[in-house]
Amino acid sequence: MGVKYKVETRLPRPSIPGTGASVPIPQEEDVRALLAKGKTKPAVELAREIHKRCGWPESEALLVDAYAARIRSLLKTGLKEEAKALFELVRERYSSAAARLADVGVLVSASSGNLEELLRPLNDPAVLPEIRRAIECVVKGQVCDLSALAECTSLAADHPLRTAAAALLRAFAAVTVGPVEESALVLPEVSHRGPLASWKILVRAIAYFYQQDDAACERCLGIIDPDSAPARLVPALRTMLRTSTDKRLAPAAESLVALVCGSKVSLGRALQALDSAFETRVQEKILPGIQRAVAACEVAYPGLLERLRQHISVRALHLDLPARKVRAALGGASIKNAYFWRLYARSVESSNEPLEPLICAQWEQFRRHAVAEGWFGEKGPEAAALYLHMAELLLEVPAWTLERHRSRFAAHFSGFQEYYEDQPPVIREVEAKYKKVDPYFLSPSQLFERACAIDPHREAFEQWLNWAKQEFDGRVADSVAERWHQALPLHSQPLLHLMESAEKRGALNRATAFLAEAQKLDAVHPEVRRAALRLLVAQTGRHLRQRKPHLVEQDVAALEALPEAQLADRPAFLVALRWAGAVIRGDAELASSFFGQIGRLLGSSAAAILACENAAALGGLTRADFDRHVPQISQDPADSLVVATARVCVLGDDVGAPLTIPTAWHARLWQELTNTHGELESRQLEMLGKAALRTDQKELAYAASAAGLEMGGDQEARFLLLRARALPEWELDRRDDCIAATVELGRRQRDMSIINEAMELRRGRRNAMTNFFDWLDSEDWHDFSMTTEEIQEVLQHEKHSRAFPGNRHAPLRVPYRETVFLDDQELEKDDEPCALDDSNQLVPEMGQSREKRPKRVRRDLPGQGDLF
Amino acid sequence: MKTSRQANIQLNEDPREILGVPPDAGDERIRDAYLRKVKEHPPDREPAAFERIRDAYEVLRDPRRRALHMFLSADPHAPLVSLLPASSQQRKFAGPDPWLAVLREK
Repeated sequence: MGVKYKVETRLPRPSIPGTGASVPIPQEEDVRALLAKGKTKPAVELAREIHKRCGWPESEALLVDAYAARIRSLLKTGLKEEAKALFELVRERYSSAAARLADVGVLVSASSGNLEELLRPLNDPAVLPEIRRAIECVVKGQVCDLSALAECTSLAADHPLRTAAAALLRAFAAVTVGPVEESALVLPEVSHRGPLASWKILVRAIAYFYQQDDAACERCLGIIDPDSAPARLVPALRTMLRTSTDKRLAPAAESLVALVCGSKVSLGRALQALDSAFETRVQEKILPGIQRAVAACEVAYPGLLERLRQHISVRALHLDLPARKVRAALGGASIKNAYFWRLYARSVESSNEPLEPLICAQWEQFRRHAVAEGWFGEKGPEAAALYLHMAELLLEVPAWTLERHRSRFAAHFSGFQEYYEDQPPVIREVEAKYKKVDPYFLSPSQLFERACAIDPHREAFEQWLNWAKQEFDGRVADSVAERWHQALPLHSQPLLHLMESAEKRGALNRATAFLAEAQKLDAVHPEVRRAALRLLVAQTGRHLRQRKPHLVEQDVAALEALPEAQLADRPAFLVALRWAGAVIRGDAELASSFFGQIGRLLGSSAAAILACENAAALGGLTRADFDRHVPQISQDPADSLVVATARVCVLGDDVGAPLTIPTAWHARLWQELTNTHGELESRQLEMLGKAALRTDQKELAYAASAAGLEMGGDQEARFLLLRARALPEWELDRRDDCIAATVELGRRQRDMSIINEAMELRRGRRNAMTNFFDWLDSEDWHDFSMTTEEIQEVLQHEKHSRAFPGNRHAPLRVPYRETVFLDDQELEKDDEPCALDDSNQLVPEMGQSREKRPKRVRRDLPGQGDLF
Repeated sequence: MKTSRQANIQLNEDPREILGVPPDAGDERIRDAYLRKVKEHPPDREPAAFERIRDAYEVLRDPRRRALHMFLSADPHAPLVSLLPASSQQRKFAGPDPWLAVLREK
């Protein structure tokens, strides 16, 4: 510091004439800006120039501030001597600015490491608050030696800092040498606002750490002042808690971690690093990570090494990493025992990729090893559960894929020999036991059979039977039902299936025999009671077809004796059967009387006509046979046609004689359904929709689903499923969303019947994968579950989509028409809305001669038609 | 709309660990452990803990669910660090010096 810079403060700061305000210090902002940027040297030089020119007390203060910043900067860079010399010089030269330099003086004292000198000012009761704060700040952030603080002779023996430091010292020693009582952690001597408050929290954190209360420890670490000295222990503690993956610990911290936790923390960190490497999917990061993890495991936890290798192997297989490189990094092959195969199979199973039937080969490997290792017996319930699980997996695979795999498997599958290289003899022996590959695990039938043979129970047989029902050959399902009946003779479901099957084949006597057996087991079972009604109705239909009215009368009398036949509109159907008997006899008067009775029971002549049509169809009567016994419907009926039809649809479903809606009624029904709201109950809508689907009238079924969805409530799942069935084939995503939402809603409502229907629809469609749309859809066939939000999204979308989705594909059809049928008048009108003259023609044409039928103009309802 | 394949039963926790029974424990031992745990965590005082215990027992008491849990409980995508058993977290008391050394280190 040269003499030439010595400037006396001579003059007071002048005022601006007339205002009384002081003249601003020239370039003060520049000095402050330089200080803010940390450029302390040019700031000092500029401040010195300013003070030289002005010589005011304010310019001196500015210069002292610049010096103070410079001294701090020197201390920060470790130039303690230079800082001390500059401080002494400034203090000597600008004694008037002592207060401004007070905190800097504390820092200079602290930098010398002389605690006595640093703390001495605290003995003075009149010490400036700035100096006290500065000293406490240094104590908080820099003092690590509690014993030196506790024994500091420049402070009185009973000074709070000394007593607090002594108490902390004792507590710190206590928590690091053994378990402590809670009372030892209270430390009333340490103020929570004082400079040692963070020490108190640190002591508690260490105590919690040793008590294995990691959450409490982490809470303490979170509130330690990051500027305090104890904060230096936080990274090490977090590493030991495994809540930090920071790889860069200081040497002393590394030593502490190793000393306290042994090398297991190093292993934990290596495993965390390997997990991160796997996430990157970069081979160059993963392989060294594997080496480090394996090496750390060998040191820290040799007992875990094999399991770790297996997990790493499976991860590597999942990422398709080169096997030999992985094996080299692992220091050898992982053991291919049951644990490995289970892990591998689960890895494939839980991926988002479509399942391949080979997954069952992996589960088979698991089964072999699990049995050999004594996890479970070959004939134990666990083996049965595994067979069932494998069968369930196969059910997710489209039938055509499965068939293709099965046929190619024996020829091309070479087993898992490469997995058994470098395996110990005990593992190779297990594999050697199964020399010939038996691809039973690619056959759901064989898997179900094995599962049911080992552990016969209802759920297993139900699954097996449901699967068998999808097979083209109905005898497969019958065979399963027979096996079920043999294994569990007290179950009525197989008998009901056999009864239905016999009924469908027309073997009514056999069906009746099965029903009798089922009634013996459980006469009050609702399915058995329904089946009794249905079977008697079927028998009546046979007698009608055989033109045996006396037997029909006996059948109807038997039906009347059934309590189920008295429910709802069913008595009307019994009268309709009698009406059919009267028609066969040719008794017009009786037929007319029965017809009137039906009309009264159903409250509508249109409904009566439909009920009679249904009974006539059951009895094989043509329109010509009964035309004169049924009036023709008015072209403009007073009653709602859709209400009457829906009512008879429900009735037909109740008695097991599904109604076929006359084709000519479809347009009128569709129009009424789209224009009326709230007249039909949900079941009526559902049955109307199903009846429409039976004649492939998807537009009508779609309209029924729209009306049903509008009703909301618990039946939404049923109408979503109806919507799925009614959608045209190109609406792949919508259809799958509807099915998935139906399954999820069914799960939540515990409605197994709707779940089964939805699953069968999905499965049936996949098994019959024959067209372009199914092929398009084949990639995401495994997706099923949905969140509440996703269900709501599907529901809202379907509720708002009231129109049948045909128009969006209209452009696909335009070139076809324009180029080929441009001058075809009828086709040019295809896009017009459904015309009433067509829909008003309500006379059922069944049984009419071709000439008598009204000339039908082929018009699609909106959107009807095939894409190709 | 894409959704993901999900397991039918909750597999987040090992029911054997919850009941404190070894992997080879039979029906009787599982039941004893369940009753003991219920006494420790009665439903009126600790309903959440009780439900957890009951759910674990529900899985283990049914041989089929128990078997299914055996197959599906393996989680190949779990963090590798979860392989470390709890016993590996033993912590040695090392005295104050190594701790203070970290504080003194710049």
